[in-house]
Amino acid sequence: MKRIATIVALLLATQMMAFAQDWDPGGVLKKLSARAANAVDVNLDQSMLQFAGGFLDPKDPQQAKAKKIIAGLKGIYVHNYEFDKAGDYTPQDVDAIRAQVQGPDWSKVVNVRSKTDGENVTVYFKKEGNEFKGLVVIATEPTELTFVNIVGPIRPEDLAELGGQFGIPKVQVDQNSSKKGNDK
Amino acid sequence: MNDKLEQELKKALRRTDPPAGFAERVLARAAKEEQAKLAREKRRFQWFGMSGLRLGVTCALCLIVAASGMIYQHERHQQGEQAKEQLMLALRITSSKLEIANQGIRQINSPEQRPE
Repeated sequence: MKRIATIVALLLATQMMAFAQDWDPGGVLKKLSARAANAVDVNLDQSMLQFAGGFLDPKDPQQAKAKKIIAGLKGIYVHNYEFDKAGDYTPQDVDAIRAQVQGPDWSKVVNVRSKTDGENVTVYFKKEGNEFKGLVVIATEPTELTFVNIVGPIRPEDLAELGGQFGIPKVQVDQNSSKKGNDK
Repeated sequence: MNDKLEQELKKALRRTDPPAGFAERVLARAAKEEQAKLAREKRRFQWFGMSGLRLGVTCALCLIVAASGMIYQHERHQQGEQAKEQLMLALRITSSKLEIANQGIRQINSPEQRPE
């Protein structure tokens, strides 16, 4: 009986870990990372977030804000790839990632294009009931790709805290390309 | 009176032979005391020797444990700082992309964009 309970507990723990893991469908992220001139891959699961959070300085305003944002999150996975020239990645590469956020739980809420460098940014939310349980951001430029996967409860005020913070300047947006949650 | 005192003194100071085995008993006791003294010295040396060895080993072990602990703490601190830097980098990247999205929303909601 005790052994069965242990096995069940291990299986449940494995499932929970799988839920909080980043996705890499068909290894596309690995391929992009290998092809990129510069690649940033940050994979922080819940335990690493808690570990890193312990070293944040509450006296530093940005770090204090970061600590507040990551509280309760199950994972933060960020992949940023810079390429030497346009065409080094294909739309199919991006589609493989977009396919992960096409389920009924996911909603595309924003799709905008930056005026300064033609960057296209799409934001997806995962909703369970009345709670937001995940956030995905896909940003594409001719020579740069960014995928952000945040797993866990996201509060709207946290998003407001995130945007435009951590030393990031404000940017101009192409007014003609802005649309809101029309198509998936 | 003096004669009586003199005779008693002579009688008291008269040389007498020791009882049988007296010399052997004295020599045996002297030898026994010498052996006990040697045994005490031996035990004292042994006690000091063993204690010194144990003390040295214990000190060495304590030093090893203390050094290992310090190295572990240092490495853990380094790993923590690296994880923190990775986290801040991830948040900066996320923030930059969300800011673009936020700008788009603000543009949509601006009075110039709303239809009359």
